[in-house]
Amino acid sequence: MNPKKEKIIETFQLPKDVCLGALRVTLTGNSEAWIENYRGILEYTGTMILLQGKKCQVCFEGTRLSIDYYTNEDMKISGHITCVRYQ
Amino acid sequence: MIAFLKYIKGYVRIRIWGLSPERFMNLCSNRDILLWNIEKDEDIYTMCISLKAFYQLRPIARKTGTRVVILQRVGLPFFVPVILSRKIFCLGLILCVAFWIGSSYFVWDIECSGNYQITDDVMMTFLKEQDVKVGMLKSKLDIEALEKEIRRSFNEVTWTSAKLNGTKLIIDMKENDVPLIPAIKEDQGGKNLIAQYDGTIVSMIVRNGVPKVAIGDVITKGCVLVEGMIPIYNEDTTVREYQYVTSDADIFVRRKMTHQEVLRFDYIKKEYTGREKAGYYFRLGEKEIKFTMERPFLVYDSLIKEQSLRVLKKLDIPVFFGQITYREYQNMEYRYSKEQAKELLLQKINKFFATLEEKGVHIIEKNVRIETEVDQWVLNADLTVEEAVGELIEIPMDDSMENGQSSVEADAVE
Repeated sequence: MNPKKEKIIETFQLPKDVCLGALRVTLTGNSEAWIENYRGILEYTGTMILLQGKKCQVCFEGTRLSIDYYTNEDMKISGHITCVRYQ
Repeated sequence: MIAFLKYIKGYVRIRIWGLSPERFMNLCSNRDILLWNIEKDEDIYTMCISLKAFYQLRPIARKTGTRVVILQRVGLPFFVPVILSRKIFCLGLILCVAFWIGSSYFVWDIECSGNYQITDDVMMTFLKEQDVKVGMLKSKLDIEALEKEIRRSFNEVTWTSAKLNGTKLIIDMKENDVPLIPAIKEDQGGKNLIAQYDGTIVSMIVRNGVPKVAIGDVITKGCVLVEGMIPIYNEDTTVREYQYVTSDADIFVRRKMTHQEVLRFDYIKKEYTGREKAGYYFRLGEKEIKFTMERPFLVYDSLIKEQSLRVLKKLDIPVFFGQITYREYQNMEYRYSKEQAKELLLQKINKFFATLEEKGVHIIEKNVRIETEVDQWVLNADLTVEEAVGELIEIPMDDSMENGQSSVEADAVE
C-alpha cells in the first residue's frame, strides 16, 4: 500500500474502507457476518466461502454456511463460522 | 416489512447448476439483482430472486453456462390470477366488503349510561321523539343538538355526553345526586311551627321565633310550638310592631304509637313439576320470528335467554336470537306453622323498626304480641318513641293583622 496515501488518509481521518477500498467485515458472534467492499464470490461451498476483495481475498470457514442475501454493495453470511482467513 | 414488500412484488425460488454458479451470482450482483437465501446442496445452488429480476436471467445463464429452474412461486402476482379465476368468490368478497362498509354508515345500537332516575324506556322514547333510532344514518345525527336537547328536557341531568363509537351511539349522563332545593321565598307573613301529633316534649332547641311550649309540656295535634311573630317592644314594654320570621327549631316529643302487621294462615307457592319445553326465536329489530308452540302447558312460566349477534366489537347489528324455556308449575296451597308465622311477622316488624330508625325516630319502649284472628295472624306492636315534631304553616294573614292591629289599639288605649 502506498505509505504516502495512507498517511494523508490518517491525517485527514478519512474512512479507510471508502478511500482504500479495504474489505469491511462485521462479525456478530460466530453465526453472522456482514461483508462490504468485495468484488465477488470466488468459491462457495457449505463449509467455505471465498470472497475477492480489491487487494486481498477473505475466506470464511465453518459449517452450514449460507448466504442470506447478496448484492453489489454488501452481503450477509450466516451459519457456524469457525475461521476467517485473509490470503 | 421487507418480507411483505417482497410478497407484494412477488418472487421465485430457483435452483441453478452448471459450469460456474459463483460467476452467475457475481454477474447478478453487478447488474443490481438482489439474491437472497442462497444455499448450496452439493453441486446445486438454491436461491430467491424477485420476479422482475428473473426475466433478466437468461443472458447471464447463457454466459455462465448454468441452468435455472423455478422451484417455487411466491407472492401476490401469482396469487391474484388464481383468485380472479373464481368469479363467484370474488363477487361474494366484494359484496361482503360493500356490506360492511355500507352498514358502518348507520347507527346500530344505542346505549345509555349514568341514568338512574330517568329510566332506559323514558330515554328511548325521548330519543325516538328526537328521531334518533337504531338504523338511522350516522350523518343525520347531530350529536351536539342531541346533548343540548337532553339537558333542556331533563332538569335532573347536570352533564351529558354523546359519542359515536363505531356504529354504537353511547350517551353518558350525570344526574343531580343532591335533591333540587326549591328556592326559599322571602316570606312576608312568617311561618309558625305546628305540632303534627300529640306527645310530651323531651327536648327543644329554638333558633328562630318565639317558643310557645316548654320541655315537659303535653302538646296536642295542631298546637303552635314556635310562633313566627316576634314582638318588638317600645321602651314602655308595649308592642310597637311584629317582625315576621320563619320559625326554626328542633323539638323532640315522646309519644305512643301502634303498628299492626297481618299474615294470612295460608299461602300459595309455585311448585315446579320438572317438565320443561324449549323454544327458540330470532329477532331483527322489532320483528320477531318464534319457533315455539302456542301453549306448551296449562300453567307455566318462561325463562328467556337472549343473545345479540355481535360480529365485530364495534359493529352492533340489532339481530338477536334466544331460547325460551317453558317450565310447568302448579299453585300449591300451604299453611304457615306457628313458628314460621312468628318468624315472618318478626321479620316484617324488624323491617318497620329499621325504617323508623332511618327516619330518625328513636324507639324507647316496645311491646309486641302475636294473636290469631279468623283466618290470619296479627302482630300488634305498642311503641313509645321519641321523634322530631314541627310543621311549618304560614301565619294566617287575618290573625297576624288582628294581632298587629289589636296591639296598636292596645297601645292607643294605654
